[in-house]
Amino acid sequence: MINDDPALRDLSDVADAIADGRLTSVQATEACLARIKIWQPRTNAFLRLYEEKALEQARAMDRELAAGKRRGPLHGVPMAHKDMYYRKGELSTGGSAIRHDWVAPVTATALQKLDAAGVVELGFLNMAEFAAGPTGHNVHHGHCRNPWDSSRVTGGSSSGSGASVAARMVFGALGSDTGGSIRLPASACGVVGMKATYGRVSRAGAVARSWSLDHVGPLTRTVRDNARMLGILAGHDPDDSTTSERPVPDYEALLDGGVSGLRIGLALPTDGPAALDAQVGSAVQAAADALGRLGAKVTAAKLPDFTALYRAAEVMVKCEAAAMHRPWMEKTPELYANQVRTRMEAGFFIPATQYIDALRLRAHFVKEFLALSMDRVDAVMLPAIPFPIPTIEETDTETKGGPAVLKMVAGFTGLTRPFNTLGLPALSVPCGFDSNGAPIGLQLVGRPFDEALLYRIGHAYQGATRHHRKAPV
Amino acid sequence: MDEKTRTAAGIAAGLQGLVYDDKRLAEIAAEVEILNDAVRKAAAARLTFDDEPAAFASVLAREAK
Repeated sequence: MINDDPALRDLSDVADAIADGRLTSVQATEACLARIKIWQPRTNAFLRLYEEKALEQARAMDRELAAGKRRGPLHGVPMAHKDMYYRKGELSTGGSAIRHDWVAPVTATALQKLDAAGVVELGFLNMAEFAAGPTGHNVHHGHCRNPWDSSRVTGGSSSGSGASVAARMVFGALGSDTGGSIRLPASACGVVGMKATYGRVSRAGAVARSWSLDHVGPLTRTVRDNARMLGILAGHDPDDSTTSERPVPDYEALLDGGVSGLRIGLALPTDGPAALDAQVGSAVQAAADALGRLGAKVTAAKLPDFTALYRAAEVMVKCEAAAMHRPWMEKTPELYANQVRTRMEAGFFIPATQYIDALRLRAHFVKEFLALSMDRVDAVMLPAIPFPIPTIEETDTETKGGPAVLKMVAGFTGLTRPFNTLGLPALSVPCGFDSNGAPIGLQLVGRPFDEALLYRIGHAYQGATRHHRKAPV
Repeated sequence: MDEKTRTAAGIAAGLQGLVYDDKRLAEIAAEVEILNDAVRKAAAARLTFDDEPAAFASVLAREAK
């Protein structure tokens, strides 16, 4: 048996310890529950905790293992997920008041895959209402709070996923990303988040924000853990016609290739939708320098005009969200937070031709980005969030209006949303801390379906640095 | 009420069956103008008759390593 707190260990480490009998699923689950008791009051990361059910499930996993049956590479590992993944017969709120008592009729493909891999489900996590918000505010269920400083935001919309993984309450969690909603909480909470290529992971059974831009993906503490989760989640799904039939690589087996000889384009954009803060820029520059010392060739990257990519995404998300939310917006508008409802309203006024042109532009945008930014490099590196993590109060658009607050909130997605338009894989990895002690994250962007390379770079970086080993206290 | 806000009011009441006050209609009109302009300019510089939305998935597949 291992002697230290199992909750502090990595997902893959715990999975392997359970598999070879050094740890039981019950011990891992009890360790997570002990952390949750301490950290839930400080973070509000969980919307529903299934304590007894999880322990019962863990006991069943231990019995199965004793009988020689290992379900998969996450057998017995406790997790929790953003409250937008449907499980048949169970509540699924989508972080909303509208669905406060709604029971899901199906189980999400992502959950089915994790079930088959042996995951124990601790519960469901806080999130922005209907995945619409980059900060972690939620007027219905209470704001999620950053475990590094409870006065600061977690990033959103997968707020509980970022907070719970960072605070060592769970070993991994599902998030979703329409404009940065995996990468932003990963960056703000100091964990790893992957938005894979559009079509790499099934969206079936997950609350949609924008069908064209939504990406399902994992948040974990290490790149290795993330690679293991994506290996389980990725692949074609008949229930999501946008998923790719490309084979899924063994991401974990490809981690150790190193970065020697790889070409990385570094971008520290000073204009566009979000201005870059100096200390964030310094942290990402230091990460590039570290990769350079490991043998990567780092050069300056050229980026396209992000404003066009950003606006095209806004057109898609507003039109699609307005269409799907219309019945509720007409009948029960008072059940939305003002900022959630008003962000969708323009969708009723944008001409269909403009929406279709935004969709038609995407192929051009991808070709232009690959030609301009990736012609001579294997990956592009840039910050995830361009400024230090602000407080919950100073970004509360529900109680504080005004252009300065709205600009700051919009700035969260300035460097992430363009990659939803492009559909390219983007990995957020912790790379330091700001002067307030809150995490800073870098973003690695690759060619379509080149997640394995991003993991390889991120893994090499984590092998040479300790940012991901620091835990909030 | 300016021209753009009047247009928004017409869409809301006449085409969508939605009710907004003048202040909100003016905000929406301004927001839509920014988004429309950005897409229209990007489209004018790039799109041809044969471009279709499904080309996005094809490009991702074709450009994969």
